[in-house]
Order: sequence, then structure tokens, then C-alpha cells
Amino acid sequence: MEQLLTPKKLTTKIGLALAVLAAVMFVCSLIGTETVSLKAVFTGPGTQAAPNPDFEIMGFRLSRIILAGLVGAALACAGVVFQVLLRNPLADPYILGISSGAGLGAIIAVISGFNWTLWGRSPIAVFAFAGALGTVWLVWFIGRLTGKFHVTGLLLAGVVVNAFFSALMMFLTSIAKSDQVYATIFWLMGNLTEGDFLVLWIGAGCVIGGIVALFYIGPQLNALSFGADDARSMGVNVARTRTIAFGIAAGITAVAVSLSGLIGFVGLVVPHGVRLVFGPDHRQLIPLSGITGAIFLVIADTVARIIVAPAQLPVGVVTAIVGGPFFLILLVKYSKKVSWLK
Amino acid sequence: MFGSRQGLENSGAPLPDRADRIVSLAPNITEILFAIGLGDKITGVTLDSDYPPDAAEKPKVGTFWQPDIEAVVAARPDLVITLGFEQQKNLAERLRRIGYNSLTVNIEKVSDFFAAIEKIGIATGRQRQANELISRIRTKLRQLASIVGAGPKVRVLWVVQREPLRVAGRDTFVNEMIELAGGENAIGSTVHKYPPIGSEQVIACNANVIIESAMGREDIENQRDRALQHWSKFKFLPAVANRRVFVIPGDTVSRLGPRLYEGTETIARCLRPHLFEN
Repeated sequence: MEQLLTPKKLTTKIGLALAVLAAVMFVCSLIGTETVSLKAVFTGPGTQAAPNPDFEIMGFRLSRIILAGLVGAALACAGVVFQVLLRNPLADPYILGISSGAGLGAIIAVISGFNWTLWGRSPIAVFAFAGALGTVWLVWFIGRLTGKFHVTGLLLAGVVVNAFFSALMMFLTSIAKSDQVYATIFWLMGNLTEGDFLVLWIGAGCVIGGIVALFYIGPQLNALSFGADDARSMGVNVARTRTIAFGIAAGITAVAVSLSGLIGFVGLVVPHGVRLVFGPDHRQLIPLSGITGAIFLVIADTVARIIVAPAQLPVGVVTAIVGGPFFLILLVKYSKKVSWLK
Repeated sequence: MFGSRQGLENSGAPLPDRADRIVSLAPNITEILFAIGLGDKITGVTLDSDYPPDAAEKPKVGTFWQPDIEAVVAARPDLVITLGFEQQKNLAERLRRIGYNSLTVNIEKVSDFFAAIEKIGIATGRQRQANELISRIRTKLRQLASIVGAGPKVRVLWVVQREPLRVAGRDTFVNEMIELAGGENAIGSTVHKYPPIGSEQVIACNANVIIESAMGREDIENQRDRALQHWSKFKFLPAVANRRVFVIPGDTVSRLGPRLYEGTETIARCLRPHLFEN
């Protein structure tokens, strides 16, 4: 049996993971299609007359790396939460219809051809965010009607709402013009495009705040993973914990989706990978999944940026191609450690 | 089979019109048919056939991507002209099997386009008009080339869509139009036809001019203002620094048709406005 998780051990693990993340981000910021001299970057933005291109390129690259980190962390943590709440190893952040809700929002925005921007975000991002949150609320609402957090009811509601919105999406796609269809398809495949730094900071605030809150309900999530009755007997307020965890997970997923489109695989595989290697204790599963998700997506996006230069790949393609085999190796190597695989 | 027709043309006799009821399954095919004087023989077009204005009045046989075979048959065509991609090729094949005449033309590149005009001319007994159309466009393009001259190439970033950012790659007819207009694509060869690119490439491509094709019916000047604002974050790019970001009407540059010259001239005006002043 594993040794007890002391606060000291936990801090060390999180600290080490953060150090790895920082190192990965630093290395990835040096990788790109253009050569950037670090020395030149540190001379600052330059003057109006003689701007510094190295500084500008590094600015774009860094904002994209930070974005990748945020999205990766949000999706991985949301994945952990959905897996424990639904007590289903196949759950991922998109399982309750967020993907089709966001996709429907995106295609509506593309077809209506809006031109405004909201805080530097395009209508696609705004509509996707609204679509994602609206869908989750709808699924949650229907799930509640089937009984007080009946997991099967919630899952079925999610699957059916997903299918229904997907059908609406397909209908809109079939009547849209071809260039509109392409715009939506590329958005749906997941793309990390640098936004304004303001948006990045707001996104960072939401995601990091959400992850910290999830970290603090880690012990209750641990209890919940034994089932609602056991958790209740341990003195956990089941309904409240579920509502909070569900709300936060859905919220950070919606933020991630509106920042980057639908990036698959991170939210499914990273939580499992971390659980296989470090065990299922949510107090460390949540922070470590967040950090690992960030590392994973930063690396995947760096590959996506450079592999077919001067073009780039949708990052979702890379996450699945890189993540799939890697996950299978972990699965074979560590599977004896984790009880739900038996 | 076409030998006797060839003979007729050589003897200068008027050609008999073989096709009296033509269905066109693409907007650029419709434009070609109108340009060689077959407008009144068209009995069916796709929904997006809106040029010349008369084309929009024709009965519709579905969309470009999903032509409706029942509507095509109901138009009682003696010739159906389709493009070469999968859906349309299948439709042409099915029509042939039930006894309809169909002609499939590929219009991917400028050379395909000229070949397609010729093929359509032959199939409809309008070789003379087709050849005239071809030489008219070619002459104008030659004239444009002499106006533009052989100076240094202007580097053009051709933006297809902003989010996610995709641009025209080298293997496209837009690329050919840019070159005909005296420019060169700022993006090198890519695996994609219309590659998605990142901000780093935008800076690295060092474009002198950014061109977007207009969306919707909104005023072009408004669209241009917004485009300038959107691109202003790349202040290091020559195109942005010199405010050479343009939005041009989409039709002539998004379909490869008889208005090829007009589209190319519009691009040339963006690249070297001073040559066209007066």
C-alpha cells in the first residue's frame, strides 16, 4: 500500500511538477520556425523607428505557449472531475455536451457573419462560450429532473443533447457556404491562436482560480469516488460538493473551449495517465493533472507549430497522435496499481 | 465525331447548336456559358450561380456541393456540365448511366480553365466563341503583364479567413492570379492548399501587401477599416506599417471564371496602385 500523502510530500511533488512545466515552457519558447536571439529579446521592444522583431516574435510565441498551458490545465482538471462525478473512466470534459454546444455556437456565429469583437475575442469565441455553458446547464437541468443527481440520467441526458446539437450542427453545415464550413471545421479541430494579453490574463484568472477551488474540495472528491452513500456516511455534503465541482469543471472547460476550439484527448488521457502513475488521491490528482495537462499541450502545440512549417497542424491532431501511444504504454506498465481497471 | 464540326468551322459556315437545354452545376461554368453566348440555353443552375444577373433567374437544381439529381432530370437537359470533384463526378456518372449527356470539366488552375472553355465550346458547338473568349482573356492578361512590367515581385499574403488564420498556399489559382498581377505569394510551399498559419509566420513572411476577399454585403470601406485594425498588431510587417491592407470584392477572385482578368487587375491595383492612376 502507498505511504500516506503528507502536506510536505504534496508540496514537493507540485513544486517539482511546476519546475518541469517552467522548463518545458522555456525550451518550447526557443523552438519555432524563426530563429530568435534571446539576447536581442532582452533589449526590449525597441523604438518606433527601429522596432525589435525578435521581441515581437517572442511575444507572440510566449502568449501562445501560455494559452496552451492554460487550456491544457483546464481540460485535464475538468477531465478528472467529470471522471469522478460520473464514476466513469470514459468521461472527459466534453461528455455532457459541451463540445456540441460550443460547436453549434461557433457555426451560428460563422453563418450569421457577425463582425464585432468583444474584448478582442471574435463572435465565434463568444458564441462558443455561451453555447458550451448553455448546453451544460440544460444537461444539468434535465439530469436533475431524472432524480437527485442520478448519474445514469445525467449521462443519458448528455449523450442525447450531444446528439441533438450535433444534428443541428450538421444541418447548419449542410446549408452553409463552403468557406463558412471550412472556417467552422478548422475551428472545431482546435486551434491555439494568440489573443490579446488581456484575454489571456482573464482566462488565466478563471482557470487557475477554478483549479485551486477544485484542489480544496479534493478530500470530498476522494470520498465521492467511493459512491454517494459512502461519501454521505463520511459526513460529506454530497449534493453541494457535486454542484460546486460540476459547475467549476464546466466553467473552466467553457473558458478553454472559447479560447481554443475543441481540443480532444487531453481531458481524457492526462487524468488517467496521472492516476496510473501517482495514484487516485484527488488532493494530488487535481494539481498534478493540471500541470501535466499544461506540459502535454505546450509540447503538442510546439509540434503543431513547426512540423509542417510554414503551415501548422490543428493541435487536436497532434494531441491524439502523440498522446495515444504514450497513454497505452502507461496503461500496460502501471495498470495493476489502479483499482478501477480490475 | 467532332471532325465534321471542325470541317464546318473551317469552311466558315455557321455551327448548328447541338445543345439546346444545358444544366450547369457550378457558378463559374454558368459564367462561361453566358460568356460564349449560351445564356438562353441554360435550363438549370446551382443556387450560387448569381452572375451575370440573368443567371440568378434560372431554375435551381440544388447546391454546388449537393446537386439534386431529380431537379437536374426535371430540367430536361440535353447536356449537363459538372466539375471534377467527387460529388459532381458521381452525379455525372449516374446521369450518364440513365442516358443523359454529361460533360465533366476540371477547373483548378488557370490552364484548366482555358481548357474547360475549349471543351465546353466543342461540346456545345461554339468553338469559335470559346476561342474568342480565350484569346480575349489572354490578350488582356498580356496587356496587364506589360503594364506591371518585370520589376521586383510584391510579396502578398492572401487571407482566406482570420479565425483560425488561413491563407492561400502556392498550389491554388489565387496564387496564379497573384503572379499574373506581378506579385508573389509571401508563404512558401505547404502541404495544405490553404494552410493555417501562426502569427510567427505572419511576421516571418514579410508581406508587402495583405489582401482579404470581402465577406457578405457590407460596405467594403468598413471592412477595410476593420481589417486594418485587425492587422495593426503586426506593426512590424511592411504591409501593416505602410497601411497596404486591402479588402477586395470576393466574386472575381474566389471563382475561376471569365472574369479572371477583372480579378487579376483588381489585385494588380492593390500591388502597384501608382501604375493605374489616371
